[in-house]
Amino acid sequence: MTSELARWLKPITSLKLTIFCLACAMVLVFVGTLDQVHIGVFEAENRYFKSFFLFFTPPHTDLRIPWFPGGYIVGSLLLVNLIAAHIARFRLSWKKAGILLLHSGLILLLVGQLFADLFVDLESQMRLDQGQTKNYSESLYYDELAVIDTTDPDSDRVISIPDSRLHHGSKIDLPVDALQVVVNEYYSNSALISQDQLPSPNYPHLRVGPMAVAVQLEKTYKENERNLPSAGVSIFQNGQLIGTWSLAAGFPRPVSFQVGGKGYQIVLRPKRFYKPFAVQLLQFRHDRYAGTDVAKNFSSRIRLLDPAKHEDRESLIFMNNPLRYRGYTFYQAGFDNNDTTTVLQVAQNPSWLVPYISCGLIVVGMLLQFGMHLFSFVKRRVIA
Amino acid sequence: MADTHSDTGVSPVIVVGPRARRPCHDHGRDARVTQGGMPGSRRSRHLPVSRILLAYAAAFALVSCNNDKIEVYLIPKQGVTVAMQSGSAGLQPPPPSNPAKWVKPEGWNEQPLSEMRLGSFKVDGPNATSGDVSVTAFPGDAGGLAPNVNRWRSQLQLPALAEDQLQQSIQRIEVGGVPTYLVDIQTPENAPKPARILGAVLDTSDRVWFVKMTGSPDLIESQREKFLDFVKSFRFTAVTDGQAPETGSSNKPKSTNDK
Repeated sequence: MTSELARWLKPITSLKLTIFCLACAMVLVFVGTLDQVHIGVFEAENRYFKSFFLFFTPPHTDLRIPWFPGGYIVGSLLLVNLIAAHIARFRLSWKKAGILLLHSGLILLLVGQLFADLFVDLESQMRLDQGQTKNYSESLYYDELAVIDTTDPDSDRVISIPDSRLHHGSKIDLPVDALQVVVNEYYSNSALISQDQLPSPNYPHLRVGPMAVAVQLEKTYKENERNLPSAGVSIFQNGQLIGTWSLAAGFPRPVSFQVGGKGYQIVLRPKRFYKPFAVQLLQFRHDRYAGTDVAKNFSSRIRLLDPAKHEDRESLIFMNNPLRYRGYTFYQAGFDNNDTTTVLQVAQNPSWLVPYISCGLIVVGMLLQFGMHLFSFVKRRVIA
Repeated sequence: MADTHSDTGVSPVIVVGPRARRPCHDHGRDARVTQGGMPGSRRSRHLPVSRILLAYAAAFALVSCNNDKIEVYLIPKQGVTVAMQSGSAGLQPPPPSNPAKWVKPEGWNEQPLSEMRLGSFKVDGPNATSGDVSVTAFPGDAGGLAPNVNRWRSQLQLPALAEDQLQQSIQRIEVGGVPTYLVDIQTPENAPKPARILGAVLDTSDRVWFVKMTGSPDLIESQREKFLDFVKSFRFTAVTDGQAPETGSSNKPKSTNDK
């Protein structure tokens, strides 16, 4: 039994596997960096590193054929290889202490990053006008079609449909009230223009309001641009049509409707991540060096409101001084509206300390290993 | 695995390499068959890549996480803010969600809503005719009373009237404290398709509501009372939400990383 297991594990401890993985990693980094020019950082990260395989689509088909291992496979193979090699050749001795520490640091780093990647919220942004209070942050890349049950006087029930489910012709069954959303049209990126700016009356568009229409745009991968989708949707209950609306994420106004005595709203907007607490912007400061326009400091004085934890305190967020609260980290990222609006970057990374600890382990391991070699070398020279 | 020693009572040890008592041409076969055997024995040199890939394909299938899930969660009651994303400044804000209540008369069938219509009803009349009732609202003064009434007149092939002439044909009432203007217009005599419009224009503080019923003259006559009751049942809730869209910034938000 164990010999069978050993036979399976033996190739995993092989140094050849390590070399293979490192070579794959080099290829991924090289090709990914080149492709980033066209598709932007976020997309490149998702395609090359946060994936199991690189896929190839033959022309005129919808097939996705894996042709190269992606970041997850290469990373996890390296991790397993390192751990297995240690188990197979485990020899606790002082001579090996340096290498053990070094490799432990490396293992911790890989595991920590894998954990952060798989289980953690995306980075999001909280945009606050002076005096505004928000208990949610918004995604920079993803949108949602939110159907909100507003019947209860104390709370709203949000049903969030990710934009990856929205395609021309999709039929989505909601888990409540036998509601069904049918997507009649979906533009993954769109621009809002006035009706008379259409090239022709028959040009495909969605009427988003009395004056505004949405026209389809190519999806953008540029750093500073955000895709703003628009959708034409219909809601059915038990097969009966309740209403048809055109919605635009660029102008997210919730549309109310009633179904069977219950009040609902539907809206297409950037994906929201609600927090159990609220943040209020008291004042944003953009200090400049006297007499110049060069920025000296950006800071947001905010108020943190968390009734459950009896928190009601002020805090100052400025460059390199984020607010860490309940697993979230709020960084000063941007500003708008003539310095009256602040943009905070919200990150959630429970393993944020892991890179520090693992780098520490690696440094100590290296010092130990090379120190021991140096010491024995010096000793030999002295004797000789 | 060829193990020809078991019948001689020797424990079935995996025999590797050119041990004695084996015909020469069996060496190659034994070497291939007995991979990763006893330590110290001559092992096959190549990596069983197929086994590794199989293991990972299995792991992949298990771990494929689905980010397409629909999430359902509760949040404390929100005030509705209509915020404009930068880049679409300069557009008229569309009418906000429905802060009006009304009482639907008997016999009026609710119809699917649309972005223009906040209320939509169909009324069945005699001789298989039907009437259509719409409720819409537009911010500000929505262009003014006269242009809108003239728009309805043009739908019935009637000529437009000047402001002062219109004032004579409009009936003024109050609905829940809101000034309301009632209009009753009909296609001209001997029109090929006789039609009649009953209209009510309700002038609230932040927007103008239009309630319009269209149908054949007979149907409208039979529904006139119900239409008036419907209009009189309108009650407007206070607008508590921050409706003003964030004006300004046709520029994108600046980053603190910009030079």
